Amino acid sequence: MSRTILDIHAHAEPLPQRDILEVQDLHTYYRTRHKENVYAVDGVSFTLEEGKALGIAGESGCGKSTLALSLMGFYFPPLHYKSGSIVLGGIDVMKLNKEQLRKQILGREIAYIPQAAMNALNPTLRIIRFIEDIMKEHRPELNRKQVRELAAERFETLNLSPDVLNLYPNELSGGMKQRTVIAISTILNPKVLVADEPTSALDVTSQKAVIKLLKDLMSKKFIRSLIFITHELPLLYHVSDDIMVMYAGEIVERGTAKQMIFDSVHPYTKRLMGSIIVPEEGMKSQKLAAIPGAPPNLKQVPEGCRFADRCLYAEDACREGKIPEKWSGGRKYRCIHESNVLKEWYSHEAK
Amino acid sequence: MNAYTKYFVKKSGWYLLTLFIALLLNFLLPRMIEGNPVSTIASQVSQGMTDSDSIKKVYDNFAKEFGIDKPILVQFGVYLKNLLSGDLGTSFGLYPRPVSSILASAVPWTVALQLPAIIVGWILGNVLGALAAYRKGAFDKILFPTALFINSIPFFTLAIILLYLFGITLKWFPISGGYDFQMIPHFSLDFILSVIRHHTLPFLSIVLVTIGGQAIGMREMSIYELNADYVLYSKLLGVRDSRVARYVFKNAMLPQITGLALSIGTMVGGSLICEIVFSYPGIGTWLFTAIRQLDYPLISGCTLLIAVTVLLANFTIDIIYGFVDPRIKAAQMEEN
Ligand SMILES: Nc1ncnc2c1ncn2[C@@H]1O[C@H](COP(=O)(O)OP(=O)(O)O)[C@@H](O)[C@H]1O
Ligand SMILES: [Mg+2]
Repeated sequence: MSRTILDIHAHAEPLPQRDILEVQDLHTYYRTRHKENVYAVDGVSFTLEEGKALGIAGESGCGKSTLALSLMGFYFPPLHYKSGSIVLGGIDVMKLNKEQLRKQILGREIAYIPQAAMNALNPTLRIIRFIEDIMKEHRPELNRKQVRELAAERFETLNLSPDVLNLYPNELSGGMKQRTVIAISTILNPKVLVADEPTSALDVTSQKAVIKLLKDLMSKKFIRSLIFITHELPLLYHVSDDIMVMYAGEIVERGTAKQMIFDSVHPYTKRLMGSIIVPEEGMKSQKLAAIPGAPPNLKQVPEGCRFADRCLYAEDACREGKIPEKWSGGRKYRCIHESNVLKEWYSHEAK
Repeated sequence: MNAYTKYFVKKSGWYLLTLFIALLLNFLLPRMIEGNPVSTIASQVSQGMTDSDSIKKVYDNFAKEFGIDKPILVQFGVYLKNLLSGDLGTSFGLYPRPVSSILASAVPWTVALQLPAIIVGWILGNVLGALAAYRKGAFDKILFPTALFINSIPFFTLAIILLYLFGITLKWFPISGGYDFQMIPHFSLDFILSVIRHHTLPFLSIVLVTIGGQAIGMREMSIYELNADYVLYSKLLGVRDSRVARYVFKNAMLPQITGLALSIGTMVGGSLICEIVFSYPGIGTWLFTAIRQLDYPLISGCTLLIAVTVLLANFTIDIIYGFVDPRIKAAQMEEN
């Protein structure tokens, strides 16, 4: 291979391999107006190492956005926390009260960019005023002039015009707005940035600019690690070190980007990545593949493997009990079949 | 020319055109009376007059005012010239009192009734609406249906109910007029107290409907803003709740300001029903009287005043608002 997926770190000094985020058996749910529970994050465990970019993929409705939001440790209705732990840079986030969380964690240790970040900014507040408001919480010792200098310098470093600071959100184009939101979110140099579909509403040029911005943030060490959710292959391909695939509130497979894109094990991942045909020459399609059928309703998840109803290789055993996670060659997957058996089946499929 | 200047020029053009049409209608209205309007009017006004000299004087006066012997365009010119010098003609009903003097005596009553009522109702309505959205629960469950109820009964009915209940049945307040009619307006405690007692019921009726409408609007806007993405995003960057609440209520409030400006601007027209029900001596009651007496110059004067104030209010809102609210400004730019 002439290029590697890891090339964003080619020039970065080697980092000590330290876990920056550890999530253990996290369960969160929505309580709907009709008093029903939607178990959108249902037993998720993973770790994120310092210096890594972790991509999360999966169909719509699988709980990706909920996971992203849940990682912040800040819950308000209809989203509720049930159980599990989130340890961020050694701090057990779920043990903090709201005020501690707000002062010590949010924006400082971990920052979040919502899906549809287009509307994330208050339309009646100039960008600089919003940054001032954030600084009033986290860097009260700075005066307005210092905040402006700091913000202008950061924007410039990230190839964003400091003129943007004086504008209202509506005066920015979609791509600019997205990059501005990213720049604002990372202004306090949080260890982890969680970005929910940062490129999905953008045209190709703007997508490239956002990808470049995310890479810059990593290489300039404004953020230490990145978690992002996406349907877009270019983002998964060019930015991720690792990829995690989510299905019906669970992680079904996790491995390095290379493993996941070109050599996936879980039948769901295999289908999802199915649109990549000629890896060396780019991608056949910009988006992940659509799979026939729909994910199960998260109000009442089926027993056994949640993908069984749509899986080509499902057996009776797939629909019983809880499917355990397995390790194979540095990757983790949740399927009753062995990886070599699955790959054997896939090799027949290709012909 | 930047987009905003373009917007400004375009808007001004439309408003000038509307104003011109309003003036034209106002000019044509009395001239549409069958036959020679001046003799019709003069005979109506001079009913009961026996002295042929004074009948002749009345006729000459209106002939001059209307410029009846001149071509229609010249008449329009005379009309505009008179208008610019503040001359709105002479009332038929209260001949020979000039319309402008009647309007000048009525406007303070209308303004003194409406302005405080609108402002009080607007403030209370917005505070209640915002609280209902923020607190939810029992407060909202009582306030929202009450506001809806008040808002859905016609103002006329509401005013009559107040009048009947507090004026006729309980006799707490007088049922008509701006002050005791045997009094002569002058500056004394007695007179002021009388004015206040007469003011109460019409004032309350306007405050009530204003609260109803504003509370519903503000509640709706606040709920919308509370669910906006920027609320979550700001909180997840550690911005404290009170600051985020300020964003929310500022954004919910801005459209409500249009409502306030509009009701202030349209209060002369909006006063009609309230003043008629309570026989309050403002523009509304005069317009009502003028219509009953077919007093064309006075009708014209009232409608012109209403049209001009409404146009002015709308124009001011359209222009100023873009500066206050960047969301509106963006929308205005797109209009071009
Ligand atoms: N506010 C909400 N109230 C109730 N259910 C919700 C809410 N938001 C999302 N859900 C449900 O939670 C599940 C996961 O949604 P989400 O995390 O948005 O998925 P994804 O981001 O993968 O598309 C879906 O079934 C969705 O219908
Ligand atoms: Mg989502």
